[in-house]
Amino acid sequence: MAQGEPMQVKLKIRRFNPETDKKRWWGHYQAEVEPTDRVLDALHYVKWHVDGTLAFRRSCAHGICGSDAMLINGRNQLACKVLIKEVGRKITVEPLLGLPVIKDLVVDMEPFFEQYRAVKPYLVNDDPPPATERRQSIEERERFDDTTKCILCAACTTSCPSFWARSDYLGPAAIVQAHRFIFDSRDQASQERLQILAESNGVWRCRNIYNCTEACPREIQVTQAVAEVKREMMRRRV
Amino acid sequence: MLRTRRVSYLEGLRYQGKESMLAWVLHRITGLGILFFVGTHVVAAFFLNAIGDNISKSVTLWYESTPFQIFIYFCVLYHAFNGLRLVVEDFYPPVLRYRRELLWLQWLIFLPVFGLPAFLMVLSLFSGSA
Ligand code: FES
Repeated sequence: MAQGEPMQVKLKIRRFNPETDKKRWWGHYQAEVEPTDRVLDALHYVKWHVDGTLAFRRSCAHGICGSDAMLINGRNQLACKVLIKEVGRKITVEPLLGLPVIKDLVVDMEPFFEQYRAVKPYLVNDDPPPATERRQSIEERERFDDTTKCILCAACTTSCPSFWARSDYLGPAAIVQAHRFIFDSRDQASQERLQILAESNGVWRCRNIYNCTEACPREIQVTQAVAEVKREMMRRRV
Repeated sequence: MLRTRRVSYLEGLRYQGKESMLAWVLHRITGLGILFFVGTHVVAAFFLNAIGDNISKSVTLWYESTPFQIFIYFCVLYHAFNGLRLVVEDFYPPVLRYRRELLWLQWLIFLPVFGLPAFLMVLSLFSGSA
């Protein structure tokens, strides 16, 4: 693939419109893109020039908002991050696994956010606020730096076989969010969060399969975060 | 109750996981293999000295055959080695940064420990001393 030269790619997209379709079906499209374009550009091409009924989510288009995670060539990726030259001329796009499809590539994220809320993803500190900020050393901040990068795109959770098998499993994204606060020196609810994660739908459902770590567009060491939470539970005997 | 979508086995297996997903799939298969092995013993014991004495004998003959012995040796050994890797990972999370190397190390130890006895079993089968 020569850089910068327009080329034709074949897109196979999983379609479903609940108002007209009984079953999901495959739509086949051609798009003209450049090797350095992103899969998102190919989807735009289809929507803007071929079939305006195609539905997918995207917002920032720069890997920040986490709206356009989808199954691209069999792996969860952000359409706005993966380049055409990385996926080749034949591209298969499907909605994320495990979440209900609203239309085409748009899934209902509510079950995912429900898991997220379950781990209390906010700072809990009942001490009276100091006159300035709540201070933290560089080392203390460093402890949970990796897990602050999560953009809640659901690529990790929906790539996890444990989540596919048991929908009530809290999933890697929620555990990453819990990790971010459990190891925050300013937080006072880590024991509570560990107790939530020690339930049968918590961290012990993780089988170290690493699909989540491979799928994370922010390169968070997701499985390591889960393992650190497991270790902390063992240490505190939760 | 969460309103999630059921993922079929086919959809799950089509997911392009890397070597650690394969390691997990193999862990499940070998686990089922062990269960199957125990099952054959239960069946053989159940029919022993009963109406189906012949069934018991043929099941025993079957699970004592060299190919089945090699299969079960593979299952037990792989399941144990992979399980130990998971234990190490859970106890020392920092090693997870080297998960690929750890997986290679597992195979590096597994292959001779499995291969050599398996080879000897095959050898004795062909020399007729099995
Ligand atoms: S559109 Fe915002 S992350 Fe891709």
